[in-house]
Amino acid sequence: MNKRQTRLFAGAATAVSALVFLVLTIDSHRQFGKLTNADNITPAVSRGKDIWHAKNCINCHTLFGEGAYYAPDLTKITQLRGNTYLEAFLRDPSKFYDEAKYRRVMPAQNLSDTEILDLIAFLDWVSKVDNQGWPPRPILVAGATIPGTDRTVAQQQSVAATSNTQAATAGSVSTADDPVALGQALFNSVSPSCNACHSIAPGVNMVGPSLAGVSARAQQIISSHAYKGQAKDVAGYIRESIHDPSAYVVTGASYSANGISFMPNTYGQSLKPEQLDYLAAYLGSLK
Amino acid sequence: MRYKSQSVAYWYFAAAMVLFGLQLVFGLLSATKYLGPDPLINLLPFDVTKVIHTNLLIVWVLTGFMGATYWLVPEESRTEIHSVKLAYIQLGLWLLMGVTAVIGYLFGYGAGNKLLEQPIPHKITIVVVMLMFLYNVGMTIKKSGRFTTTEGVLLLGLGSAALLYLPALLHYSNYTVSIYYRWWTIHLWVEGVWEMIQGGFLAYLLIRLTGADREVMEKWLYVIVGLVFIAGILGTAHHYYWVGVPAYWLPIGGIFSALEPVALVGMAIYAYSALRRSGLAHPNKLALHWTLGSAVFTLFGAGLLGFAHTFPSVNKWTHGTLITAMHGHAAFYGAYAMIVLAMIVYALPSITGRKEGGSAAGYWSFWLQLGGMFGMTLSFATAGIGQVYLERILGLGYLDTQLKIQVHFLMLIATASIFTVGVVLFIYDFFRHAPRFHLEPEDDDLKDRPTGNLRAETDPVKYG
Ligand code: HEC
Ligand code: HEC
Ligand code: HEM
Ligand code: HEM
Ligand SMILES: [Fe+2]
Repeated sequence: MNKRQTRLFAGAATAVSALVFLVLTIDSHRQFGKLTNADNITPAVSRGKDIWHAKNCINCHTLFGEGAYYAPDLTKITQLRGNTYLEAFLRDPSKFYDEAKYRRVMPAQNLSDTEILDLIAFLDWVSKVDNQGWPPRPILVAGATIPGTDRTVAQQQSVAATSNTQAATAGSVSTADDPVALGQALFNSVSPSCNACHSIAPGVNMVGPSLAGVSARAQQIISSHAYKGQAKDVAGYIRESIHDPSAYVVTGASYSANGISFMPNTYGQSLKPEQLDYLAAYLGSLK
Repeated sequence: MRYKSQSVAYWYFAAAMVLFGLQLVFGLLSATKYLGPDPLINLLPFDVTKVIHTNLLIVWVLTGFMGATYWLVPEESRTEIHSVKLAYIQLGLWLLMGVTAVIGYLFGYGAGNKLLEQPIPHKITIVVVMLMFLYNVGMTIKKSGRFTTTEGVLLLGLGSAALLYLPALLHYSNYTVSIYYRWWTIHLWVEGVWEMIQGGFLAYLLIRLTGADREVMEKWLYVIVGLVFIAGILGTAHHYYWVGVPAYWLPIGGIFSALEPVALVGMAIYAYSALRRSGLAHPNKLALHWTLGSAVFTLFGAGLLGFAHTFPSVNKWTHGTLITAMHGHAAFYGAYAMIVLAMIVYALPSITGRKEGGSAAGYWSFWLQLGGMFGMTLSFATAGIGQVYLERILGLGYLDTQLKIQVHFLMLIATASIFTVGVVLFIYDFFRHAPRFHLEPEDDDLKDRPTGNLRAETDPVKYG
């Protein structure tokens, strides 16, 4: 090869690649609308995006996995947390995480209430973009434990035992129809997902309280004077806690404000009654 | 120094040195915040130190590119720079832009788009400065009538870098679309046109330092440029996997970005064989260290560590973790910091009148920086692997994971300190000798050889 030929090679290689790239770019533009639900980019979403930029959130957080690695990815945050929680967090993040424990916290961002709503609208739009299912499993902000180490062996056996007895009494019914197993699956898969806020390990309080031993606690709560809800039994209390979280709020500064629980109040609509039963069965089985 | 106007390069280099030092201050600040708790959380939080760290990096590297070009073009075209005054005005404007941008970040004023945080007035200034620069260099070459391939590749790289910055000036209402075009700037810079710039400097340095045959070196430079663009343009898609674009970008990104290391392997062989086959022993061995070091460290940081997470099946788990920071540091340092340092070390003896061989401080600086950066890369890598496994695969919370990898942050700070000592030595060595701009006669040994001489068999690939 002489110099003229190699120059030709460089020029042609660049031109062909650039051409293919441009054609694919045009095709991508054809599809952006549908993939990103561009129709849902309301003025609030646009404003939220501008605030996201103006406040430099990207230089601590990642969004779509891009940004800085000092703070958690927020791509699907609205699917892990409800609006009530996010509003309260963004108003005053210092109430939520203990710097002594985690060694890093989010500084106050001095956002107005409408700015907060706009940001949440933007983050909610982001969470619905069709991005090939990334992340492959939810990225939690805090909490959860390494699988297998979150409960003692005895606790794991007791759940397994409950499921087995129930499966056995139902005769031919497979575990797929076992309410406890179904409840456990729902616990990790509904949106916003329960396990993003609740651990089932004893003493591990995240955004919400640990649900280990909730049935024993429920018994005490419904028989106490402070309780004003409708539930008559443990299963009823758990169901009520899910579809109407503010009926009774567990004490703790980062759990509620003005009697309104930070747990999403959307499950009443988004879950079917039998799904509430499965969740109650599962949580009731945690001793 | 053979041309009086080459002295402008000194002031560009001096500015780059100061900004490089400042960049590290903000890098170290950011790294200590990983360990926390952060006493400065409300005064100088992480987002501010990090944006200043990365912006100073881009500004000093570009300052170095411009200075090195002002050094190289007079020699290649054998003429004085068209307008020395314009070159100084350009430097002043550029530094004004950089300094006010940093002050703005300190007060929370910026565009908040990763690596493109410059506010609009600053972005416009960047474009204006680039145009002044390209005009000045272009006129120099035009007046001289001598335009070498090395210059051509370098200038095309610089010109395209300016062009590719333009999409960053636009406003996009769809966040996904804005990400799409952010990569036209960032990716096509570092894995496209900046590699042309690196290639141009590399060719220049190798020709001067090893006496390799110009015709052969420039021929292979074209091959490298071709390989860079075959893989690099469509390789942009390795940033499109998870951001809301059509699914066909996944296989395209996987295939083409996996080919990107080919050009980097080519570049390393290019440098190595030039060295092996050369007959000339240039006294500036330290510059040779930096030149060869840049080619090799690029192969490691960009080629190997980029390849490590470029396939969609891997990137799915590593995307947006400290693994990216591992690669970002090693690649940026090897490809762009080291090539600028190589040009500086090459030019220094003639702009400051020190001896060619390089000082002890110079060698210490080289090895401490290399060792320090290697250690930093390992620290980010081990932290990143821990993060991917605990947070992404096992599902442990982000904050809990960060607590479990604290020891890697200690490693990071320790190795970054070694690196910083190396850089401080470099800066000290730079300023130790005052500039002394006196002209030397043309050195026959270093003059370009005509085409087709005896050394034409110095064919890097055939003998590589
Ligand atoms: C200085 C770094 C920093 C900046 C800037 C920052 N954050 Fe955070 N953010 C954090 C950290 C650290 C956490 C983890 C929780 C904690 O420790 O407070 C967090 C957590 C969050 C959470 C999740 C809270 C939860 O429990 O689910 C949201 C939502 C959030 N940030 C939104 C934002 C938005 C929106 C912005 C920009 C207006 C922003 N952050 C700017 C550091 C930052
Ligand atoms: C955004 C975080 C969040 C999510 C998601 C969430 N919760 Fe909660 N949950 C809370 C908070 C905070 C409390 C405590 C305040 C209260 O009592 O409502 C709570 C309380 C509870 C309680 C009462 C606990 C007790 O000790 O009395 C139950 C039961 C419960 N949640 C179940 C669930 C289930 C089941 C899901 C998923 C369907 C869920 N939570 C999802 C935040 C959350
Ligand atoms: C004292 C030495 C240094 C330290 C302690 C340091 C530390 C850091 C830290 C903590 C970050 C933030 C990562 C995050 O987003 O969480 C960062 C980002 C970055 N630094 Fe450095 N750095 C140093 C030197 C350098 C050098 C010499 C270069 C390049 C030549 C460099 C290039 C970068 C780049 C490109 C990023 C952005 C990476 C990404 O987002 O993936 N740094 N650095
Ligand atoms: C030549 C020099 C290179 C430099 C300076 C460089 C620098 C960087 C930087 C700074 C980032 C982070 C960008 C951001 O998130 O904004 C990045 C990301 C990335 N680079 Fe490179 N890179 C180079 C070459 C390569 C090569 C050759 C490959 C592949 C073979 C590669 C693969 C990747 C991948 C896959 C990512 C995305 C990481 C993620 O998913 O978070 N890079 N690079
Ligand atoms: Fe890239």
